Amino acid sequence: MEYIGEHLLPGEIGRFSVSLAFGAAIVAFIAYYLNSKTEDKRYHKIARSAFLAHAAGVIGIVLSLFYLLLSHYFEYDYVWKHSSLDLEQRFVFSAFWEGQEGSFILWLFWHAILGLILMFTAKKWENHSMMVFSAVQAFLASMVLGIFPFGLKVGSSPFILMRETADNIGLPWTQVADYLDRFPAFMDGSGLNPLLQNYWMTIHPPTLFLGFASTLVPFAFAIAALLKGDLKSWVKPALPWAFFSVGILGLGILMGGAWAYEALSFGGFWAWDPVENSSLVPWIVMVGAAHLLLIYRNKKTGLRAAVFMSILSFILILYSTFLTRSGVLGDSSVHAFVDLGLSGQLLIYLLFFTVIALGLLIWRYRQFPSEANGDDLSSREFWMFIGSLILLISSFQIIFSTSIPVINKLIGPDGFISLLSDEMAPPLDAIKHYNSWQLPFSIVTALLIAIGQYLRYGKTKAKSFWKSISLSLAISLVITGLFAQLYSFWSDPLYLALLLTGIFAAVSNLWFWIVIGKRKWSFAGSSVAHFGFALILVGALISNGRQDVISHSKVNLGDGLPANENALMDLGDTIEMGRYQAVFEGMDTIRDKQFYEVSYFNSIGDAEPEFSLKPFLQMSEQMGPTPNPDTKHFWDRDIYTHVTYSSYLEPVSPDGFVNEAEVKLNKGDTAIYRNHFVILDSLSVNALFDEETQELKAAKLTSHLRVVNVLGEEFPITPAYIIENEMKDHRDTILDVQRMKFRFDDVELETKKIVLKAWTEQEEGVKPFIVQKAIIFPMINILWIGCILMVIGSFIAVWQRILKS
Amino acid sequence: MKRTHIAIIIFIAIAIGAIMVTINDASTYVGFDQAEENMGTKYTVIGYLDKDASMDYNARANRFTFTAIDKEGKKQKVFYNQPKPQDFERSEEITMKGFATDSAFVAEEILMKCPSKYNEQNEMAGYETY
Repeated sequence: MEYIGEHLLPGEIGRFSVSLAFGAAIVAFIAYYLNSKTEDKRYHKIARSAFLAHAAGVIGIVLSLFYLLLSHYFEYDYVWKHSSLDLEQRFVFSAFWEGQEGSFILWLFWHAILGLILMFTAKKWENHSMMVFSAVQAFLASMVLGIFPFGLKVGSSPFILMRETADNIGLPWTQVADYLDRFPAFMDGSGLNPLLQNYWMTIHPPTLFLGFASTLVPFAFAIAALLKGDLKSWVKPALPWAFFSVGILGLGILMGGAWAYEALSFGGFWAWDPVENSSLVPWIVMVGAAHLLLIYRNKKTGLRAAVFMSILSFILILYSTFLTRSGVLGDSSVHAFVDLGLSGQLLIYLLFFTVIALGLLIWRYRQFPSEANGDDLSSREFWMFIGSLILLISSFQIIFSTSIPVINKLIGPDGFISLLSDEMAPPLDAIKHYNSWQLPFSIVTALLIAIGQYLRYGKTKAKSFWKSISLSLAISLVITGLFAQLYSFWSDPLYLALLLTGIFAAVSNLWFWIVIGKRKWSFAGSSVAHFGFALILVGALISNGRQDVISHSKVNLGDGLPANENALMDLGDTIEMGRYQAVFEGMDTIRDKQFYEVSYFNSIGDAEPEFSLKPFLQMSEQMGPTPNPDTKHFWDRDIYTHVTYSSYLEPVSPDGFVNEAEVKLNKGDTAIYRNHFVILDSLSVNALFDEETQELKAAKLTSHLRVVNVLGEEFPITPAYIIENEMKDHRDTILDVQRMKFRFDDVELETKKIVLKAWTEQEEGVKPFIVQKAIIFPMINILWIGCILMVIGSFIAVWQRILKS
Repeated sequence: MKRTHIAIIIFIAIAIGAIMVTINDASTYVGFDQAEENMGTKYTVIGYLDKDASMDYNARANRFTFTAIDKEGKKQKVFYNQPKPQDFERSEEITMKGFATDSAFVAEEILMKCPSKYNEQNEMAGYETY
């Protein structure tokens, strides 16, 4: 059958590009392998051409998918799922990588770019490192192949047509040649999730995925070194890449935090969500790896650890990919991807590189050069090594707790080996659980950052060390005292310790650069990055540890039960919020957004408010009303507010009845509605048949219900349901005294239940209201400044490494 | 023995400690009965919505009330001090973190598993035609 109106060519080009990318990666892998064995120049030529062809394939995939999205070809499943006609052009990028397939392609794209750079710059390392790259790319490309050899699903293609998806095959409409013109469902896509229609979705995923991709370079160098048996000289070319990875992956993660804080209503920038954790952990390990590489470069010690951490970071990226995309997190995360049925393939991808990398490391373990002792207590390398160990252990703790669903799969009651009798659930208070571990780790890390700069490689003389560091310590103590007093940290020894070590780390790094480094650029990288990191710790501590919820519900559940952290605000009424008097001023609807204006006055009676905020609810068919916060930024604190509910959301019927409730009843069933029992006693049917044809013309179903109030008084009601000429109609019953309305809404044929709807009459003069949550985050700007400085510092470090080599 | 080795051994000890504490911290999934035995203690209960019972959101008190059935089949009234989550009626499974009281289970956090909307729309597209 010929289908009408389909645009098959761009999809064909896309699929061909996927095959090309996949095939060429394999060819490149084989050719690089043969070249490494034979040193035959011809293989080298083939390998390079194959990788170039692979890169061309990847570009082809990217362009075809963009073309499909921009042309609104909704016959393609991916286009239909992730875009719509009214989607603004600037969100086409967001639509591109909203789905799993698109984000695989984004990852593939960055690997291809980094691979090309490596291919022309790695020189003697090209052969082996590009072998690793090609193998990784072959695996990744297979994720978007979308073929079914021997009944197995290999990859999920973004170029598949809607009528070809597993869900749709065999459905009647796929047999209609002009289905595109005939059915309105295909005229427009289901659209991009409105939560993702903002500029963060445009910049965050590409940065994060470049970060993911960047961890492959140190991994490739480490594996190349193990393959070649040349275990030392890879460190120099790998170093700038490791710092690049630290910078860009760090930037990607922090952007995610900033996005969550600015535009989502999680109530903070970090929630220890499994998806957040799984990108943080590889970053922490990469920071450790970069520092170990530095130790080796300067002191020729700790090489095994450097190789191990470089490998581990990329393995953790693969593990994270498995966690977030296989559906294993299901119960425990708010924003994991949906399962595409690729978990087997993802697992093979993960295990393949884990087994090979660790196997190679074990195989070469004895061949590592013997090293000078690097454990003098006054040496920089010893404490840097300890610092890297702390990073490793801190990442281990995070990933272990995040992996509870995986542990269930392995040794839970239904797992491979059932060791546990009950399924483990993630910690009830995740934030507390993680903080109780990460806080002590941060304290030690901050202390090491503070003293590290003042220690020399080899040995440090105690006198000169104390001389140069004592002033920073004194300044830090003063600043810590100030902050501790301002934000009352004295009673919290652990918080106080982090505050002190964090400030000490910041001050001593700044001092080092200004006084000892003489403000030279060549020293700036590490000082700026460490200064920034210390600010992140201090900023996170103050803003999170001393956050203050200023919206409180007046309603308590009971004694000792936590009060609600949401305040009800009637239109025009003044309520106290922290030091402000807040007034809900009104609602404005602009397109699909409801803006709620709330003014904050310093004191009652002020003519002008100190400031006003307009948090909004984004209305959409897909997600319903989604709260979007609005934040007032002061230099020393943020006031972060979002609306969780409003009276405008309550369904209002034109007759003034609200609070719709629905219940399904069988004969004899009882439901409770607004302190009344509703009992279905019986049903009666009146049917009217056409006299000539004996066909059913109309039917009236009457339900006989009793409404019983708390005093036991009964009120019989008989709402009815009518079908006439295939049209539905209802005869509702209104109880005047109770101000309730009942409707026999529908009949559920399978269960033989009736669907009953009930409303209560809206009280006259009811004011509109909102339910709002407001939090003060003190000193959160320290956190953001720290983030920016840390990233800048990392890139200065990369730049200096490149200049040196 | 080198100092670095001592350090590594200490860190392995911390790692084992972390595992033990995590296993301790980790809650288990329980039913309502078990939660009621220790009122006030926090548990994670997995269940599903009792669609035959009524549910109600009282905006003034910001309290959402519904009835859930746990995996053992026990019905329980649940309070949730938040607005009704979107698509709550359509959820297949509800994970509730909270504690039992005399009158109801008080959920502090709710996660839901929903069937994909996309599939449903497609089915509709398919059925409308014939």
